[in-house]
Amino acid sequence: MTHTPRRLALLALIVVAALAFSVSFGASGIGPGDLWRALSGSGDATTRSILLQLRLPRAALAALVGGALGLSGCTFQALLRNPLAEPYVLGVSGGAAVGAVAVVVTGIGVALPWMLPLGAFLGAMAAMALVLEVARRAAPGRMDTRVLILSGVIIGAFFNAVILLLLSMADVESFRSAIFWMMGNLSGADWASTGLLALLLVPGAVAVLSLARAFNLLSRGEEVAFYLGASVQRVKLTAYLAASLMVAAAVAAGGVIGFVGLIVPHAVRLAWGNDHRLLLPASFLAGTAFLLLADTIARLVVAPAELPTGVVTAVAGVPFFVALLLRGGRR
Amino acid sequence: MRDTAPSRDWRPVLRGRDLTFTHRRAEEAAVRGVSLSVSPGTLLAVVGPNGAGKTTLMRLLSGSLPPQEGGVTLDDRPLAGLADRERALAIAVVPQSESSPFPVTVREMVGMGRYAHLGAWERSGTRDRAVVDDAMARCAVAGFADRQLGELSGGERQRARIARALAQEAPVLLLDEPTAGLDLRYRMELFHLLRQLRAAGLGVLVITHDLNLAARFADRLLLLDRGRALARGAPDEVLSRESLEPVYEWPLRVVPHPGPGSDTGAPQTVPLRRDDR
Repeated sequence: MTHTPRRLALLALIVVAALAFSVSFGASGIGPGDLWRALSGSGDATTRSILLQLRLPRAALAALVGGALGLSGCTFQALLRNPLAEPYVLGVSGGAAVGAVAVVVTGIGVALPWMLPLGAFLGAMAAMALVLEVARRAAPGRMDTRVLILSGVIIGAFFNAVILLLLSMADVESFRSAIFWMMGNLSGADWASTGLLALLLVPGAVAVLSLARAFNLLSRGEEVAFYLGASVQRVKLTAYLAASLMVAAAVAAGGVIGFVGLIVPHAVRLAWGNDHRLLLPASFLAGTAFLLLADTIARLVVAPAELPTGVVTAVAGVPFFVALLLRGGRR
Repeated sequence: MRDTAPSRDWRPVLRGRDLTFTHRRAEEAAVRGVSLSVSPGTLLAVVGPNGAGKTTLMRLLSGSLPPQEGGVTLDDRPLAGLADRERALAIAVVPQSESSPFPVTVREMVGMGRYAHLGAWERSGTRDRAVVDDAMARCAVAGFADRQLGELSGGERQRARIARALAQEAPVLLLDEPTAGLDLRYRMELFHLLRQLRAAGLGVLVITHDLNLAARFADRLLLLDRGRALARGAPDEVLSRESLEPVYEWPLRVVPHPGPGSDTGAPQTVPLRRDDR
């Protein structure tokens, strides 16, 4: 515990560095020097507008989505007492994808672009409610996390089938945009969507962070957590709702970006152990830095074209994680 | 939270009346009409064969299972009416076993005992750390406080779990087979510790299969068989060949502890070999 402030400060520094890196590099050849001039008010108007209207909101979006995925992934691992849990394990992403793909395939998205994130968010919320309701009816009176995980996986599988059905009816162009959305894509970033995402994330993040101590107890089993004074049912329900809300908002804003929510919490666990008072905020910050870097790479590698961010997180994240595993656990 | 923590002199009586519980899909009740109280300054040992209902009885008393008949009170207040934190400030429990997919250190583990004393955003203070250090010292786990639980022996892990319960500073302590996996020395150390806690005014209930240590350390015994309280009272009133043989369905003799020591004469149970019947 004594290390906590120092470790979080270190991560915050890394986030600031990643943010500066992300904003400094892009297809247009605006470099770190221009960034400084634009921020200090000199520099020309085009450069300023590229930085302030394109790169900065995109970096902010990447930061928030990454943080939300890191934090919610960590929360689902604690809630389900399962190290393999990640933000999409309970079907929230499947619901979001059904909503988004429906908007794309029906052509609504062309006329009303803002319907895409809205459709995704509503789909995610519907999935969250459905999974919870099935779990509640299967195990009345309490929230059984084993039933919850079954219910989430099954409903997620059903949503995947619906997505395939929708895609099979789509024309080539909407098929392509739907697939791109599902791979995770932050290119639509603007200040409005970033601000909205931040607004949705705050209550979820505060709720989850307030449960840090309770998650420590929960990791020892529900009976033990009860004896130590945790309100187990309330903790579980709050964790489920808050984490699902964060995932829904993140997926609506950035599509289904994989691996961040699984790898980031584990990297923190391996390095610094499993005390959620450190683990939760550290997962948020590390997710932020990780997605900032991944998204910058996605923009740079094949510039002026772009890779889907979700492809980069998988391709870069998996070897990184394997290296961490091979290095051995925390000493 | 600090203000709501009860005074350290609070010595409540935990009382169960006519407790009955049948597990789902079970044909017979696990606990039938058992009444008992855990009083301040008393060490009560619950003994009985496997499946007698000892663990279920402890779960009923601790509030984790609601009784289907009867009720549990803490100083005449219904236990079910207490908030989770309030209950944990009054009753600490060491359940039989636990496991976790996420490793923690001994210090983190024992620190969890402070949960009910702290608010959601409150950081543990000097006193919390002192209580944790003291609990670790009493259970002889302070020497490896920063090692991970998974690297320790079964006995060391068990002592860390007991230290966590002590860190709760609750006036009532319930332990479910705490000596399982402990060697001779630590079994003795543990019962001495329970004796100390009892002397400090705690009400202690221990479930154990060790009839001989129970006879030497406990003030009172409760013998359970098939969910019923078969006998209760001082060790020499409960432990006899007549009461134990039918319960365990095994030939045995009860002989006085030869001494030396203050517990000389305590009834010691010696099961016979089958061929000597």
